[in-house]
Amino acid sequence: MLASATRTHVDVPGVVRPGGSLDAATALAPFDGVLDERRAAHLLRRAGFGGSPDDVRRLRGATPASAVDALVHFASTGGATPQNLYDPSALFRQYGVRGLRSLTSEQRRQLFKEIRRNEVRSTLALQLWWLNRMLTTPAPLQEKMALFFHGHFTTVAVQKGVSPAMVFAQNQLFRANALGNLRELTRAVSKDPAMLLYLDNAKNVAAHPNENYARELMELFTLGVDRFSENDVRESARAWTGWRVSRLTGTAFFNPRLHDDGTKTFLGKSGDFNGGDIVDVIFQQPDCARFFAAALLSLFVYDAPEPALVDGVARLLRAHDYELSPVVATILRSNVFFSRRAYRALVKSPVEFVVGAHRSLGVTEIDRSALPALRGMGQTLFYPPNVAGWPGGENWLTSQMMIARQNYLAGFVNVQLAATSTWLDAAPMDPAAATRALVAGLLQQDASPSAYAQLQSYLGGAGTSAIPMLNTENFPVRIHGAAYLTMAMPAYQLA
Amino acid sequence: MKRSRFLIGTISGLAVGANTDHVFARALAAAPLPGLPGAANRVLVVLNLQGGNDGLNCVVPHGDPHYYQLRPSLAISQSDVLGIDAQLGFNPHMSALKTLYDRGMVAVVQGVGYPNPDHSHFRSTEIWQTAAPDRYEHTGWIGRYLDDANLPQSNLFNGVSLEPILPEVMVGTKVDVPAIASEAAYGLRIDRNPVQRQAYARLVNDNRLPFASPYLAHVMEIEDRSQRGSEELPRLIGGYRPAGAYPATPLGRSLALAAQIAGSNIGTRVIYEQHGSFDTHVNQLAVQNRLLAEFSDAMKAFYDDLAAHGNDGRVLTMTFSEFGRRIAENGSSGTDHGEASPLFLIGGGTKGGVYGTAPDLTQTNMGNVRFTVDFRSVYATILERWLGRPASHVLDGTFDQIAALA
Repeated sequence: MLASATRTHVDVPGVVRPGGSLDAATALAPFDGVLDERRAAHLLRRAGFGGSPDDVRRLRGATPASAVDALVHFASTGGATPQNLYDPSALFRQYGVRGLRSLTSEQRRQLFKEIRRNEVRSTLALQLWWLNRMLTTPAPLQEKMALFFHGHFTTVAVQKGVSPAMVFAQNQLFRANALGNLRELTRAVSKDPAMLLYLDNAKNVAAHPNENYARELMELFTLGVDRFSENDVRESARAWTGWRVSRLTGTAFFNPRLHDDGTKTFLGKSGDFNGGDIVDVIFQQPDCARFFAAALLSLFVYDAPEPALVDGVARLLRAHDYELSPVVATILRSNVFFSRRAYRALVKSPVEFVVGAHRSLGVTEIDRSALPALRGMGQTLFYPPNVAGWPGGENWLTSQMMIARQNYLAGFVNVQLAATSTWLDAAPMDPAAATRALVAGLLQQDASPSAYAQLQSYLGGAGTSAIPMLNTENFPVRIHGAAYLTMAMPAYQLA
Repeated sequence: MKRSRFLIGTISGLAVGANTDHVFARALAAAPLPGLPGAANRVLVVLNLQGGNDGLNCVVPHGDPHYYQLRPSLAISQSDVLGIDAQLGFNPHMSALKTLYDRGMVAVVQGVGYPNPDHSHFRSTEIWQTAAPDRYEHTGWIGRYLDDANLPQSNLFNGVSLEPILPEVMVGTKVDVPAIASEAAYGLRIDRNPVQRQAYARLVNDNRLPFASPYLAHVMEIEDRSQRGSEELPRLIGGYRPAGAYPATPLGRSLALAAQIAGSNIGTRVIYEQHGSFDTHVNQLAVQNRLLAEFSDAMKAFYDDLAAHGNDGRVLTMTFSEFGRRIAENGSSGTDHGEASPLFLIGGGTKGGVYGTAPDLTQTNMGNVRFTVDFRSVYATILERWLGRPASHVLDGTFDQIAALA
C-alpha cells in the first residue's frame, strides 16, 4: 500500500480529490439537476447496494428530491425473519441454575461444545439470510444503515455468550432505528444483551468496575480518540454498573444492588449518573455531532471529509436533535453528493461488492459460496475483526483481498451464472454492440476506449483476432466471460 | 487517506524528546555502535500479540509478594512457574518457548513502553506501528525501513504481511507490501484461462478513464500486483519442504508459511503476522494461557523448521503488544488496559537472557507498570544491528540500544 501517490489538489492533508476546492457554503444545498444514468447508479450504490440496468433506467430523469424521498421513506421493519435461530437459553432453562452447577467439568465442556457448534451453524445461516435481505429488500437504505451500525456499534458473534438470537435482536434494533434518533439508538444499544456481553458491561459492578464498554462508548461509538480523559472512563464505568444479562432468558436487566449510585464527575458535569445520563452528557458534546457527521459523510460521500463539511453536517445533526432521516436526506440530495469529488470516490466493501454484483446482474438469490468468499475478502458478517469494526476504504485494497474478490467474481459470473437467466442472455450478438451493453449496464460507460476495444476483441470481433467470431454456440460462455472482465475492471471496485 | 481521523490536524502538548536519562541497568550497550552489519539475507518477523498481552502473567515476577497480593485469583503460583531465576519465570503454558530460552535463543526485554501511555487499543497499536507517540503519522516504521533500504523495486515480496488486512506498520511511500493469507488463497482463478487472463491484464491497467477517483490508481496497482504476485509466488516458494509438523492453529499455519518464505531466499526482509486477542477483561487465565501456549508451541516448531534448513540464525522474531494490563485484577477474573510490558526477541542471532529491569509493582503509574525501556530503543537496535540501516533514517530522535543482539 502506498501512502502517497501523484496528487494534484489537496484539501485534507494526504487526500486528493477531483473537482477543485470544496465550496462549503453550497456543498449541502440541494442539487438542482436531474438524474442521468451515472447519477442514478451513484445514488443506488451509495444509498443501497447498487442496481440493475432496469433499476437505473427507472430513476433516469427523476429529480434528486423525489428519488431520495422514495429511498428515505420506508416501513420500519417487516419482512421475513430467519428460520430456526439458535437460542441456548431454552437449554439453560431446562438445566436450571442448579442443574448447570452440578455438571462435572467434562459434562460442562461437552455441553458448551455442542452449544458452540449450534451457534456457529446458526450464525452462518443468519449471514446468508442478511445478505439475501440486502439483495431483495424494498428498502435498501435501511439495510445499508443496519450494516453501517453493525460496523460502528460492533459486536462479534459466538463469543462471551453472545448467541445468534441476541445477534439477530441487535440486527433488528439497527434496522428499526436505521434512520431514527442516534441518541436513542446509542441508549438502546448500550442495554442490548449482545453489546452488554461483548464489551463486558454485564460484568461491570459497583465493587469492581469494568471499563471496557465505558471506554469504547466514547472512543469508538460517539466521540473519537483523545476527546476524553482516563478519569472520564473510570467515572462512566461506575455509572454503567448494574446491567446484567440472564443466561436463562437471554435478556438484559438492571440490578440496582450492583449499581454504584454515588456522585460521578463526567466530561465536566457531576451528578448521580446512570448509563442513560452518560449518553445524554456525551450527546451534548459538540465533538459527538462532529464524530457522527464524519462517519455519515464517509459512508455516503467520501472518506476524510473536509472539516468545513463535517461542521456543516454536525450543525444539521444538532438542529434535528440527532434525528437521522432529515440529515441523511439532505446529504443524499446535496451538491457535494452529486459532485465529481464524490463520484466513485469510495471503495466498495466486500459485502457491497457481493450484493452489488448480484443486483447489477439482476440475480435474486445469493448462495452459500458467498460466505467463505467474503471471509477471504476480509468481511464476515457478525465477525468484525475487533471492536473498531471494519477499517474500510484503502484497507480493502490488499492483493490478497483483491484476489479473493476476483476469484469469487470469476466463479459467480463464469460458472454459477451459466445456468441462470439474466439480462446478459439478451445482449446483442454483435461484439461492438454487446460491449456497449455490458459497459453501459455494469459501469455506466466508465471505461476508456481501449477497454471497449479489449472487450470487443475478447468477444470475437477484432477481425484479425485469433478468437473465433461470436456465434450462438459460443455466445453464453463468451458473454459471461466478458461480463466478468467488465466487473473485474478497477472502476467496478469503486462505489 | 488511511485512517483519516488521524490526518486531520496535529496533536499538541505531547512533545517528548528522546529518553536518554533512563536507568537501563545492564540492558543497554555502553559501547559505541558497532559497524552496521551486512544483513543481506536476514529476515525480521514482527509478531503482534494483539489486544494487550498481560506481561505479568507471561513473564511472571514470582519472587514479588506484591504480585500475589494484587492478583488474588489470577496470580500464577510459584510452583507452577517455569523459573528463569529466583524472581522471574515463564507462564507454565510456555514450556516450548522456555526450551528455546534454555538454548540461548530468547531475549526477554522488560518494561517496554513509551511516555504518556495511551490506553486505547487503536491509538496505542498505532503508536507501536508508526513509532510516533507524539504525533499522527501514517507510515509504519517497517514501511519506512523498506523505503530506505534500497530494495529491488522488481521484487513484489520485499515485505510480506500474513495478515490479510495490511497493518499500518508495513505502510510506506515507495515499497508496496502484499498481504498473503496462504499460498493456496494467493492465486488468481482466471490464471487458468489464458485468453481471459491476457484481457484481464490489459483491462486492469487501463488508465484513461472518463472519471477521477482518489482510489483509482491504487485499485489499478493492486489489481496488477495481485495478478503478477499470484503468478510468481508458487514459482518462488513452491520448492520448500518443512522439516517438521506445525501446530494446527492459525499461528502455526502462518509461521509455517513464514518459514517457507524466509527459507526460499526470495529477498523478503520483513514478515508481519498477528496472534490474539489478548484483550482479557474477563476470564483471563483460560484465554491467555491458551494463547500463550499457541504462541510458544508455534514458535518452537518455527525455529525447529528454520534450524533444520540452517535458517535459524538469519531469522529474528520480535513480538509486541499495544500495552500490558493493569497490575491489580478486576472483578471479572480479568485485567483492564495497562501500560508497559515485556517483549521477546527470538532467534539464533539473539543473545539470550533478560534485559531491562523487572516491573516495580509499588511505584506505579495509577496502578500500571511504568515503562523503563522506550520501544524505539528496541526498534533502533533491530534497525542497526539486524537490518543494517541507520535508525535515524526511520525514527525521530536517537535511542539507546539494547545489548540483546550481537
